[in-house]
Amino acid sequence: MLDVRGLDVLYGDVQVVWDLSFTVDAGEIVTLLGANGAGKSTTLKTISGLLRPRRGHILFDGVSLETVPPDRIVGMGVLQVPEGRRLWPGMTVLENLRLGAYPKGARGEEGASLEAVFSLFPVLAERRGQLAGTLSGGEQQMLAIGRALMARPRLLMLDEPSLGLAPKVIERIFEVIQDVSRRGVTVLLVEQNAHLALSVANRAYILETGHLVRAGAGSELLADADVRRAYLGV
Amino acid sequence: MSPGLVVEQIFNGLVSGAIYALMASGLSLIWGTLKMLNFAHGEFYMLGGFGVYFALLLGGLPPLVAVPVAMLGAAVVGMLLERLVIHPLLDKPGWDVSPIIATLGASILLQNLALHLWGERFKNIPYYIEGGVNLFGIRMAWQRVLIVAVTVVVIVVVVAALRRSRWGMALRATAQDRDAAVLAGIDVYAVYLWTLGLTAALAALAAAMLAPIYSINPWMGTALLLKAFIVCVLGGLGSLEGAILGGVLLGTTESLTVLLWSSEWKDVVAFVLLILVLWVRPAGLMGTREW
Amino acid sequence: MLRRALDGGGVYLVLAGLLALVPLVNSDAYFVHILTLSLMHSALASSWNLICGYTGLFSFGHQAFFGLGAYVSSLMAMKAGLSPWLGLVVGGGVAAAAGFVIALPCLRLRAPPYIAIATLGFAEICRFTAMNLVGLTRGELGLWGIPEMTPVPVPGVGQVSFTGQRVPYFYLMLAIYVAMMALLYWLVRSPLGLALKSVRDSEDAAESLGVDIVRTKILIFVLSSFLAGVVGAFYAHYVLILTPSSVLSVGVMIEIVAMTLIGGLGTFLGPTVGAFGITLLLEYMRVLGDYRLLIYGALLIAIILFIPEGIAKRLLPRRVAL
Repeated sequence: MLDVRGLDVLYGDVQVVWDLSFTVDAGEIVTLLGANGAGKSTTLKTISGLLRPRRGHILFDGVSLETVPPDRIVGMGVLQVPEGRRLWPGMTVLENLRLGAYPKGARGEEGASLEAVFSLFPVLAERRGQLAGTLSGGEQQMLAIGRALMARPRLLMLDEPSLGLAPKVIERIFEVIQDVSRRGVTVLLVEQNAHLALSVANRAYILETGHLVRAGAGSELLADADVRRAYLGV
Repeated sequence: MSPGLVVEQIFNGLVSGAIYALMASGLSLIWGTLKMLNFAHGEFYMLGGFGVYFALLLGGLPPLVAVPVAMLGAAVVGMLLERLVIHPLLDKPGWDVSPIIATLGASILLQNLALHLWGERFKNIPYYIEGGVNLFGIRMAWQRVLIVAVTVVVIVVVVAALRRSRWGMALRATAQDRDAAVLAGIDVYAVYLWTLGLTAALAALAAAMLAPIYSINPWMGTALLLKAFIVCVLGGLGSLEGAILGGVLLGTTESLTVLLWSSEWKDVVAFVLLILVLWVRPAGLMGTREW
Repeated sequence: MLRRALDGGGVYLVLAGLLALVPLVNSDAYFVHILTLSLMHSALASSWNLICGYTGLFSFGHQAFFGLGAYVSSLMAMKAGLSPWLGLVVGGGVAAAAGFVIALPCLRLRAPPYIAIATLGFAEICRFTAMNLVGLTRGELGLWGIPEMTPVPVPGVGQVSFTGQRVPYFYLMLAIYVAMMALLYWLVRSPLGLALKSVRDSEDAAESLGVDIVRTKILIFVLSSFLAGVVGAFYAHYVLILTPSSVLSVGVMIEIVAMTLIGGLGTFLGPTVGAFGITLLLEYMRVLGDYRLLIYGALLIAIILFIPEGIAKRLLPRRVAL
């Protein structure tokens, strides 16, 4: 479904992603792992069209995304839940969700999507009239995921969904990720919490300072001694 | 001094306050979405004045058609300005100052274009509604009543559209977090384009409503632009409610100054009020709350 | 040797020296007048560049200090018989005092538009006051009969009279400009200048370095106001007629902004390059009649679109422009 080939990305003069290639097949959960500054978020931003690659190709169902405007990429079903949630703090929960259904393909199904999101996160239904800026961290993350689901994504990209959350909340978020995946949405997950990510992922790629260093099945990497030492702290 | 005179003067203050609010809410919307000051905003006002003049007197259109035509014309110029001048500067280094020079240039260009095309002779148009009403000894010209009524209706419609419509929500989303808006599939460049169009139309409306009372000339936007900036800052830049409140506050302060002291000093009082408000509340009356 | 002297500010002295020779080559009164105006605009724009370019305070009311200097010096000379030479200093001093008063509320504001509008408000207060105090300033009719600079003895030349002369005014303006630029040159490289740069780049970082931000900003604001006041006083005793709209209107500010940004904001020679460019352009475009300002507006847009960093950096070697 997603095929990234030979990607080079620069911030000004500084190259942060070097010759990166990876694939995500339909129905999979794939995770990109690596330390802070490994280039994971940059890769997601480049797929979404917020950044443009210096070299390389991003193919989504065989269509090249490198020159497609970011709003059209969203329209094709590629949704990102950005790091730090990035909600609209001065709008209510309901307004945040309704704007999630902004892409033309999702507008007609706004009501059904809203119901689905509320059944996934009942707390959002309770707080629908509250300003997004006043929610707790966990609720904000749920709203951010809910907002992305409102757009009826085919590929859902999550950037550090566990960041700054309590263990209980993280558990809930990851249950939802697996649930979403079971409903047929392909997931690309960026995480620093490697143990958690590997336990839900079909396949994983490990980045170091912008270079791809390992790839493999989730369970295989979880069992690998080198990976355990370097990324799992055991 | 009779109480009737005071009420009459307050009403006149509301009339100029309505005009200030129309102008300032446009500046505030632009600041909210694009984070820039538009120095060509006064020229949208000027174009609205000439637009309604030509639509009425040359086109022979009734006011009810001529005013929307003038608004539409100004909106097209506003959108052209966005596409040709502002759009190329977006996302480039120096964005904090580059739009100032660009819109100043556009302002000088449009003023002198108007001077060249339409001459420096002041132009006048008749009242849309003649006569007035006498309420408990307070005289109010229908034209002035019309200005306040139209402004109230238009501002209510704009606020409702911003709150409820998909387009208005997209605009607010862009103002609150642009990257998040992009990631939700909102074409923020289209939002910028329509914002310039809308604000230009609001400025043109202000001019079209006021044109029967004051005359139309190429420089009519300059003084009003300064007032509108003051109103924005008084109310808190980016806050629509602030722009409306600031407009009414400035308008009534000015007309009461005229009544109690002198018309020459009303502007001085207005500017002193501005500096005092900023001294006490550095973020303006309504702060920079999200809207 | 020569290289090092040039690097140490010598290049600016050479440029000033070359400028000083120009009236000896071409002493046409109109030409010298345009050069004097260009120098005056350079000095005014450079004084604004000090607050906006180096301190990052977007003041939009610099015309207040220029106009105050002009009116105070003229009125003192006309009503109290003060020598215009002293007027240059007194005009600057009053402008500096006004700068101090307006700096206090403005520095509490953080967002650039708020600072711009507050300073603009102050300038408009000055303009309307000058318009309304008709008994003192004659309002929009204009204050005329301002005395010229009085004759001064110059070593090697003898007594120099300013009456009806262009060239002496040119050298006076050049002297003011050079003195001011020398001060700025020294200031930018002094510990205070370095503190300024750190304030502009990051207030928090500067604070942690122990820079007293508010005091530094007020000092710069006052200095910049003083310089604008001196230039204003010179203007008054040079053109000999003042109206509120010629020295106190927002039009003056727009020219300052245009010159500085087109030359290069925050560069040492940028305001000068912009001032000469725009002054010469506007004067020599007079042949274009009605089209002059139209083309001016279009040029401003074109320059910001295609040379956003200012022409000084494009035109001059990097070491000289900065």
